[in-house]
Amino acid sequence: MDDCEREPGDCERELDDFAGELYSAMQRRPAPPGLKRKVMGRRAAAHRRQVRALWMERIAASLILAAAAGGAALWHHEAEQRRGEEAKQKVFTALRIADRALEQMNAQLAEHNRDSQ
Amino acid sequence: MANGWQPDFEPLIDEHQAMVFSLALRMTGDYGLAEEIAQDVFLELDRNLRRMESPLHALLWLRRVTMSRSADALRRRRVRGIDQWVEIDETHGAQTEERPSPLGDRVERLLATLPEAQRAALVLRYQEDLAPEEIAAVLSAPVATVKSHLQRGLKLLRAKAAIHLKEYVRGA
Repeated sequence: MDDCEREPGDCERELDDFAGELYSAMQRRPAPPGLKRKVMGRRAAAHRRQVRALWMERIAASLILAAAAGGAALWHHEAEQRRGEEAKQKVFTALRIADRALEQMNAQLAEHNRDSQ
Repeated sequence: MANGWQPDFEPLIDEHQAMVFSLALRMTGDYGLAEEIAQDVFLELDRNLRRMESPLHALLWLRRVTMSRSADALRRRRVRGIDQWVEIDETHGAQTEERPSPLGDRVERLLATLPEAQRAALVLRYQEDLAPEEIAAVLSAPVATVKSHLQRGLKLLRAKAAIHLKEYVRGA
């Protein structure tokens, strides 16, 4: 690709000249006029999205907490109900046992009375 | 921030937007894409603003990230099968205002025809006036490789300029 096939010194000088021209040809170009405005706009939009996402997270967390609290309350209520039901059953069982004992006692008393007459 | 430097985002844009945009433009050869890259780079700077330790750190970070994002964009474009413009007489939607000089404009078009690594080395050398060691740091490449890219790139660009830019190149 080296097109410089004359004197080696000429070649180097030409490359140096070209490099010098490159410095001036490759000055920084001004940025497009709206670049900063667009960056700031996208930044603000990203910030809004972030804030919205934060709120959504908070709302989701609150809903989860509320659901958990409601579930716990329901579970507690049902456990209470279950315990009450069990206690009631125990009372009924005790009453049945007492009833049967009284009946037996009654029968024995009746038999005893019959015997004594 | 260990040294207490409080970076302000807007002044950083004002100060570096020309550098970031010019690097992206000369790497991609596409005005619209370069603007998009510049926007992305600044938004990334905003996300990393707390990590910036000094104005110099911000400058070096911007250079490195711009080169990296430009390389990513070129890679994505290659994957999509879109070629860079190579015909130097063709206009590719680049806005015509604010071109510094006819030579600068045409050099940019010639630059786009160079291999990416050589283009990166030349842009950092001649736009940013960096030494090969500094270019090596920006591109995370060995200094010898950078020097080789600079030498080959300059010769190749000179050869292309001799064909296409006869009126500007001495000895052509």
